[in-house]
Amino acid sequence: MVILMYVRLSQMREGERGTVVDVRGGHRARQRLLGMGIAPGTKIVVIKTGFPGPYIIALGSTRLALGRGIAERIIVRREQ
Amino acid sequence: MNECHDLKYISKNKKQGLRVIALAGNPNVGKTTIFNGLTGLRQHVGNWPGVTVEKKEGILKYHDKEFLVIDLPGTYSLTASSIDELIARNFLLGSNADVVVDIVDSSSLMRNLFLTMEIFEMGIKNVIIALNKIDIAKKRGISFDVKKMEKVIGVPVIPTNAKSGEGVEELKAMISGMAEGKATTNPITPIYDEPIEQEIGHISGVLSETPLAQWYNVRWLAIKLLTRDQEVIKLVLNYLGPKKMDEILIHISELERYYKHPLDIVIANQKYEFIDKLMHQFVIHFGEVHETFSDCMDKILTHPLYGIFTLLGVFYLLFKFVFTIGTPLQEFLDNTFVSFGQLIAPHIGNETLRGLIVNGIIGGVGSVLSFFPLVFLLFVAMSILEDSGYMARAATVMEKIMRIFGLPGKSFIPMVLAFGCNVPAIMSTRTLEDERDRILTMLVNPLVPCSARMVVITFLTGVFFSKHKALVAVGIYAISLFLALLSALILGKFVIKGEESPFVMELPEYAIPSWKIALIHSWERSKEFLRKAGTVILFGSIAIWYLSSYPQAMGSGLSYAEKLGKVFEPFTMLMGLDWKAAVSLIFGIIAKENVIATYGVIYGIGENEEALIMLMRVAMTSLQAFVLALVTTLYIPCIATIGAIRAEGGNKWATVAVIYNLLLSSIIGVLVYNIGLFLGL
Ligand SMILES: Nc1nc2c(ncn2[C@@H]2O[C@H](COP(=O)(O)OP(=O)(O)OP(=O)(O)O)[C@@H](O)[C@H]2O)c(=O)[nH]1
Ligand SMILES: [Mg+2]
Repeated sequence: MVILMYVRLSQMREGERGTVVDVRGGHRARQRLLGMGIAPGTKIVVIKTGFPGPYIIALGSTRLALGRGIAERIIVRREQ
Repeated sequence: MNECHDLKYISKNKKQGLRVIALAGNPNVGKTTIFNGLTGLRQHVGNWPGVTVEKKEGILKYHDKEFLVIDLPGTYSLTASSIDELIARNFLLGSNADVVVDIVDSSSLMRNLFLTMEIFEMGIKNVIIALNKIDIAKKRGISFDVKKMEKVIGVPVIPTNAKSGEGVEELKAMISGMAEGKATTNPITPIYDEPIEQEIGHISGVLSETPLAQWYNVRWLAIKLLTRDQEVIKLVLNYLGPKKMDEILIHISELERYYKHPLDIVIANQKYEFIDKLMHQFVIHFGEVHETFSDCMDKILTHPLYGIFTLLGVFYLLFKFVFTIGTPLQEFLDNTFVSFGQLIAPHIGNETLRGLIVNGIIGGVGSVLSFFPLVFLLFVAMSILEDSGYMARAATVMEKIMRIFGLPGKSFIPMVLAFGCNVPAIMSTRTLEDERDRILTMLVNPLVPCSARMVVITFLTGVFFSKHKALVAVGIYAISLFLALLSALILGKFVIKGEESPFVMELPEYAIPSWKIALIHSWERSKEFLRKAGTVILFGSIAIWYLSSYPQAMGSGLSYAEKLGKVFEPFTMLMGLDWKAAVSLIFGIIAKENVIATYGVIYGIGENEEALIMLMRVAMTSLQAFVLALVTTLYIPCIATIGAIRAEGGNKWATVAVIYNLLLSSIIGVLVYNIGLFLGL
C-alpha cells in the first residue's frame, strides 16, 4: 500500500504525528486556527480520531478538540 | 467602538493619574489568577477558556505606590474575529497601559509567543513576560534558560506559578520598576520573507505620509493590511481614499498569487518559524508529547455515547448534591422565620406596623431568604465543575447535539452558567466568535431556569406536590430546557439566519478543584442573592403588602393589588391564573423571587407552615400551581437579565427577547392549563 505523505488531518490515525502544511477555509475560520497555533509548520500529534466524536490533537501540551469540518481543512505532512 | 473608524479605545482611567498595568494573554493561561495575586482581589477564575469577558480593574499596592491593574479578556491573537479580541486589541492600541504584562503558558510556549509577537509588532515596548504555569512545564519535562530568553526576546521574563503565588512578588517589583521607567527593553519583532518585507516597506511608506502615522505603528498597520484585516482596511481606507487603497489591494493579490496562499497563512507560518528559531535559543528541554491520563479521560468524556451518559450523570449528581444538602437547611430556615414572625407578632402593638413587619417583611423577604442555602450550594457545585476543567469537555460532547438545534457546542457553557444566574451567562456569550451564534445563545439563555427561578419552582412544587415534588420540578426544568433548544432552532431558522461556525475548542488540563476557591467564589456570587433580598425583594415585599392591605384589606375586592391584578386577570385566567398570580408575576419582573415573596405576603407568615400550605391549596389547584411555576420560569426575563441582553446585543435584541418570552410563556401557559383541564387534572 502506498502511504500518502500529505493528507488531511481527518485521514490520519490515532497516535500519528505530523506537521501542518496548509490551513484552508474562509478568512474568519482560518484566523481562528492560525491564532490557536494551527498554522503551517506546527507539529501535531493525533490523540483521537473523529470516529466517533470530535478529533483531538496535541500541540505541545495543549489539546484541541476539532469538528470534522475543520479536520478536513487542515493539511498535514505525515512523519514516518 | 469609537466614532470615525478609530480603532483605539482610550481608558477613562488614563486621566485619573494612576499608572496603568494591563494583563494580556491567551485564554486560560492564568491572567485572572495573577490579577488576583497582584491586587488581592478575588475575581472569578475558571478552568475553561473565556472566563473573563470584561475588563476587570483593581489596585496593586507595592511599597507606597499604587497602580491600576486591568485584566483583559484572553485572546489567541489580535485579529478582529471576536468581540473579546477587539476589546483587548483596541485597548492595547490606545496605548492605555504604562506596562503590559504578557502572561504566557510556559507549557505551551510556541503558541503563546504568537500573541507576544503581535503585541511587539504593535510597537508596544513596555512589556514584561510572566512565564506562568511553570509547575506544569516542569512536570512535562520542559525547561528554560530564563536569562537567555530575556536577552533573545528583549523584555524581562519572570517565571511564575500563579496558583501557588511563586514569582508574584518578583513580578510586582518588576512592574513597579518598569512603570517608573527604570527598565529599558528592546522587544524583538519577526522578520518575514523578502517579498513580504518589501511590500510591508512599501505600504508603510505610503502610510507614513498620513496622519495615521501619529497614532499607530505603521508596520503593524501594513502587516494587518496584508492579512486583509477588515477593521484595519476600513480605517486605512478613510485616510488613503479608494484609489490608493485599490493599488495596495492589487499588490496584495499579486503577492497572494506568488505564494499561492492567502497572506494571513503565509505570515502566520513565518511568524511561527521565527518563534521556533527563537525558542531553540533559550529552551533547554522541549519535552515530549505523549498520551497522558488526561487524554484517556478525554477519549471517554468526549465520546458521543459515554460522554453524554457521563454528562447526564454529572448533572444528576450536581442537583442531587444541591438538594440533598440544601433542602433540610431550607426547611430549617423557613421554620425559623415563621417562628420568629409568630414570636414577635404579639409584641407589636400597632396593627399596621405588625402587618408590615410580620407579613410584609418577614413573610416576603423571609420566604425568599430561606432558599439561600440552595442557591449557595448550586454555585458551589457549578464552581467545582468550572474549576475541574470539565466544562470544556461538556461543550465538546454537546457539539453534535447542540448543532441539531442550530447552536454551537460552545453555547452549552452559557447555558450551564445560566442555572446559576443568567447575567454572567449572557456575558459569557462573548467568547462565541460568530455573531449569529452569540445572539441566538443570548436570546434563548433566559429560558434556562436560574437559581431565582429554582427557588420559585422548589417552593411551588414543595407546597403542591409534596410526594412527587422532585419529579414535577424536573419536569418543569425539562420543559423549559426543551423550549430553549426548540426556540434556538426556530429563531435560528427564521429570525437570525447565518451559516454554521466551525468547531474548535481548547481542552484545558484537568485540575483538582480547590474547596477554598469554590467556597469563596460561591460566596462572591451568591452575595448578589442576599443583596437582592435586602433591596428589590424587600422593596417588593413592602409594596405588595401595601397594595394588598390598602385601601382595604384583601378579600374586600377593593385593595390595590386586587384592582391591579384584575386588570390582567382576564388574560391570565386563560391559563387559570387569578389576580394574585397576575400581581406576583408583575413583581417577578423585578426579580423572580418576588413571585414567592408575593405569596408569602398575601397569605401571611403569621400562619404556620401547614396552615399556609392548606390556604394555598384551597386558593389554587395543583394544575394552576404547575402552570404558575412554568410561566414564572418562561415569561419576561428579570430586569437584570434584560439589562445584560441590552448591553451585549443592543436594544433590538433585548426587545425581541422580552416579546418572544412573553409570547412563548403565554402560549405554553394556555396550552398546558387547557390540556391539564381536559385530562381532568
Ligand atoms: N498549575 C497551575 N495552574 C494555574 C496557574 N495559574 C493559573 N492556573 C489555573 O489555570 C486555570 C485558568 O486560570 P485563570 O486565571 O482563570 O485564567 P485566565 O487567563 O484568566 O482565563 P480567561 O479569563 O478564560 O482568559 C485555573 O484553573 C487556574 O487555577 C499556574 O501557575 N499553575
Ligand atoms: Mg480570566
